[in-house]
Amino acid sequence: MRFQDAAPDARAIVYAGIQADPLVGRAATLLADATWEQRVLARAAMNGESTEPEPWRAMFPTLFAADVDPVARDRSEAILAASLEVADRGEQARSQFRGAIVESLTELLLRRRLTGSPATTVRRERRVLFDGVRGEIHPYDVTVELPGAALAADCKWGARGISADVLHQLDDARTHAADEEERLDVALVIFDAGRSCEVRLDRQTAPRDGTRIVSLESLDDLASGRWPA
Amino acid sequence: MQPVPSSGPDLESVGAAIAHATATLDSLAALGEDVEDEWQYVQDLSDAWLTRWREVGAERGAEPLSPAVATAIVLLSAEAARITDPHRAIDWLSTFPQAVLVALGERA
Repeated sequence: MRFQDAAPDARAIVYAGIQADPLVGRAATLLADATWEQRVLARAAMNGESTEPEPWRAMFPTLFAADVDPVARDRSEAILAASLEVADRGEQARSQFRGAIVESLTELLLRRRLTGSPATTVRRERRVLFDGVRGEIHPYDVTVELPGAALAADCKWGARGISADVLHQLDDARTHAADEEERLDVALVIFDAGRSCEVRLDRQTAPRDGTRIVSLESLDDLASGRWPA
Repeated sequence: MQPVPSSGPDLESVGAAIAHATATLDSLAALGEDVEDEWQYVQDLSDAWLTRWREVGAERGAEPLSPAVATAIVLLSAEAARITDPHRAIDWLSTFPQAVLVALGERA
């Protein structure tokens, strides 16, 4: 098993510009330390219609009420501001920004788990190659390239992004690694509720047992030592 | 926090809030059904979240609602009602129930 940079095509080059936008890094950094409630706020505001902060503050009183801890409220304000900047980029761009933010957030959280490891341990847009197996066209969004604890993760904004193709690609990678007596954990990181992910998965026939589903409620597991086991 | 004027029904209890939100969820589902390939997902998603809300209603239905939470539910419903694109409606079919649960102090 070996990892390789994906050959950049036109889409990837355009998308790289989005990934490098400072707004993506700022939003991901804020969301890395966010609570579940703050992440729901971000999800709603990034895909909402209202682009002024005041209605959102009223929609989320548990985050913005006067009696909320000021530090937590300031973080909610910063998350709201970044989310509304994403929403303000327009329909097509906001979709790309949201995807890039989930990827960046995943990378940040995984790096926390691997503090002390070289920066090249966690990579983006990488393919995983196996002997005698035709390589997948689509690269993985985030990889951990650590012998014995390798990981390939795809990231999605919503549960609707879960598809048979994605599940097959992840499971194929895991089983090909096992064929080479290597360990490769595979994960789908979804910036959506676990309940919605389960609904989506319930009607999928593609293999999923070996794929860890990381939802909005369990994002922090990426940064903790709780997973992979 | 500046008060945000809201119009709409006076929601006096958790049960009333859930009933109000349910009407909004039904509208989002109806819009999302326009994406034919996702018809089943829309039904399943809507059912799953209604089930979760019913659990909350069964436990807390008669509980009085604070004005701030009532305003939040009305505004969240109004925000969802502004969605006109079926694909975004499907996304909101998941987002809206979570936001309602946050307002009610519940987990997803």
